[in-house]
Amino acid sequence: MDWLTTIIKIFHWLFFAYSFAAIASYIVLSFISAKETIEYLKRNSFVHYKDILSSSMSPSITIIAPAYNESLNIIENVRSLLSNHYVNYNVIIVNDGSSDDSLEKLIEAYDLVLDEHVYNEKIKTQSLRAGIFKSKNPAFEKLLVVDKENGGKADALNMGLNISNSNYVACIDVDCLLLENALQKMIKPFLEDTDGKVIAAGGVIRIANACKIKQGKLIDVNLPKNLLVQAQILEYIRAFLLGRMAWSRLNGLLVISGAFGIFDKETAIAVGGYDTNTVGEDMEIIVRMRRYMEEQNKKYKVSYIPDPLCWTEAPDNYKSFISQRNRWTRGTIETLKKHRKIGFNPNYGSFGMLSYPYWLVFERLAPIIEVVGIIYFVILVILEVVIWKYALAFLLLAYLFSVVFSIIAIYSEELTYHQYKKKGTGYKLILLSILEPFILHPFVLYAAIKGNYDYYFNKTLKWGKIERKGLATDNED
Amino acid sequence: MVAVFSRFYSPEEFPFLIYLTWVTSFVLFVSFVVLSTYLIKLRKALRRKEKERKDCKLSYEPFIIEYLYSSEDPKVLTERQHEIIETLKPKIQSASQRKVIISILYNLMNEVSGEMAESIKLFYYKTGLIEYGVAKLQNKNWYVIAKGIGELTRFNIKEVHQQVEPFVNHERKEVRSEAHMYMVNLFHFEGLTFLDNLDVPLSEWNQIQLLEVLQKIDNQSICDIKPWLNSKNDTVVIFALKLAEIYNQYEVNTTLLGLLNHPNKNIRIAVIDALTHLYGIEAVEKLKANFNNLSVEEQISFFQMLEKLVMPTDEPFVEAHLFHKNFDIQLLALKILKSINIDKYFEFSGLPAHKKSQAMLKLTPTN
Repeated sequence: MDWLTTIIKIFHWLFFAYSFAAIASYIVLSFISAKETIEYLKRNSFVHYKDILSSSMSPSITIIAPAYNESLNIIENVRSLLSNHYVNYNVIIVNDGSSDDSLEKLIEAYDLVLDEHVYNEKIKTQSLRAGIFKSKNPAFEKLLVVDKENGGKADALNMGLNISNSNYVACIDVDCLLLENALQKMIKPFLEDTDGKVIAAGGVIRIANACKIKQGKLIDVNLPKNLLVQAQILEYIRAFLLGRMAWSRLNGLLVISGAFGIFDKETAIAVGGYDTNTVGEDMEIIVRMRRYMEEQNKKYKVSYIPDPLCWTEAPDNYKSFISQRNRWTRGTIETLKKHRKIGFNPNYGSFGMLSYPYWLVFERLAPIIEVVGIIYFVILVILEVVIWKYALAFLLLAYLFSVVFSIIAIYSEELTYHQYKKKGTGYKLILLSILEPFILHPFVLYAAIKGNYDYYFNKTLKWGKIERKGLATDNED
Repeated sequence: MVAVFSRFYSPEEFPFLIYLTWVTSFVLFVSFVVLSTYLIKLRKALRRKEKERKDCKLSYEPFIIEYLYSSEDPKVLTERQHEIIETLKPKIQSASQRKVIISILYNLMNEVSGEMAESIKLFYYKTGLIEYGVAKLQNKNWYVIAKGIGELTRFNIKEVHQQVEPFVNHERKEVRSEAHMYMVNLFHFEGLTFLDNLDVPLSEWNQIQLLEVLQKIDNQSICDIKPWLNSKNDTVVIFALKLAEIYNQYEVNTTLLGLLNHPNKNIRIAVIDALTHLYGIEAVEKLKANFNNLSVEEQISFFQMLEKLVMPTDEPFVEAHLFHKNFDIQLLALKILKSINIDKYFEFSGLPAHKKSQAMLKLTPTN
């Protein structure tokens, strides 16, 4: 049985090497992230945002918000988008063939009339349905509502790209709550850079479940009671403050959240806009834009703003959560597969040799390797060859590392933005870091495996829509 | 810790890797306990600090407001003002309290002007805050220098301009941006002389801030911008073009015509835009003659110029570009044609769909 021992040994060392590499990469990324966060805070501690805010010389930005059957909250959501403090911006709501009364509600609430709007169809999209609407009321002059045939989120965003007259477009989910100063903070990297071109900038997404919102404005930040949502808050803090911040420093960001990102319109159109054939259009367009810039030998950057500027509703039940993560997994697989030419290709510099391989090994393959590991472990248990004190040592190490890493993420949050200020929240966050590996991770893993299965064996599956309950609003004066 | 583990360590039972795993787990567990305890303390400290800051603000603000309203002449201090200064002087020794006092002064500076602002400036001097502000310029950390320059700008401290001036070409964009803001906030158009020797790029962000400051000042008589239009620094040229547009500098039109051949495409586009704004009609013929050698972006800018400055004699040129390969140019040409010859416009509108350009189809859909 020498060959069996050899195979087992190879497996052991492969799993060990993978785990060690993953842990090492997290540690390295945390250090880079800490450095970048400190640098960012120093850089922005004396910035005159007010001047940009009121300046008519500031560049125009178009907010593009696709909406599909959002009738429940559409009026409030649009009001929130129209209340931004930036002076030079407009909002395009793309009603993507909604079957509910979203359009009628918008027409009534914002006094809309059909507008003879001529635009160049630089990116092919589904055709207009009722047309393009503008408000008769000067108070809503920034608003444009486009009613088109259903084509999906990517298609709706492409329609917005075609219609926009601005150099910069902010693509957001219509149900996101954007803080009033979000646009001037996000546009800063585009205007500051004199060495190359900033092609996109992404922001942190924060979870707004249980937060108090009044007339489209965030009034009070609360930690929700629902454990699943709490666990996602911790996960987001870890991902956005420790992960993406570090990749921003390395100029290796491969994804900007579809919930909120600003793009250089010229580059977005040059690459053909959003891909309508993927469920991960937010990641795909960034990879394609980066690829385009690399192939053109142009100096570029994808920026990242860690300020909590965009707040969204997270799934509060496991069904919606799994559906969302399933889609994210399929999106990652599709994007990495479509752009596999980049991977390990020195012609693409650190994009090909660092970012892509990292995503492939530690994002794309991680759930598969984890499941193979679990199956392998079960086989060893059945064969009664497990040395339990060894196995427990490794399990404990992995668990404690995950807990300590979460605690470090909470530190990062407290020392920078300190959003969860209320008494007692600290204890809850610590408890959450202990529980999160049990209440969230197994479902993340399940959703990822299901996503893999659906990608290869269930091709007809497209979007999984989260059932929105609406953010906690209080409309009293 | 290692010694404790060594007592239980047996190489036969625990290979080194397993031993290391247990040690690391133990370290992580201790880290978790320590970090969690400290996290709770940190959160309490942050809350306490916030409360102290608010309390501090509440106790100092009335003093400073009283100081402001205790005198008629901002240059002469009353006895009460002296008392207030003496009361607050020892407080500024503490960095945190100094920070609070500075923030109160910042807020007040936003609300007052004229004599009141002069009074605040005097307070800044008499309490010794200025020494801390100037000392920041000597600091080795770039962000402290930038903050220092920002503070001196806010309190209108012109006297240190010779110390601030060298920072206009600082290697950190944040520091030089603050230095530029200092020059323009305090010396207005005269402060723009830093552009003469600027050998680093002036970012768009920086340009917008400078223009905002300039537009807020009372005396709008601008200095000579021609030297900056001929600068070797392209970003200075772009900035000067914006100044030409905002301040209607018709006298630079001849210089602008020369810049139509600038090697930088972005500058050439900005020049066309500026000439459009300044009614640089002389540019039309020059650009028409050279139209086919222009980039598409320049061609679009030129058609935007024509939209504003078109003459009936331009009709053949416009008509020749109704079927240009670029949609924006097609659309602009069609709109210009409509403005100068409506009959001809309707002729094209009446064409069958297959003979129409993309813009014609969009603007005048065929039934």
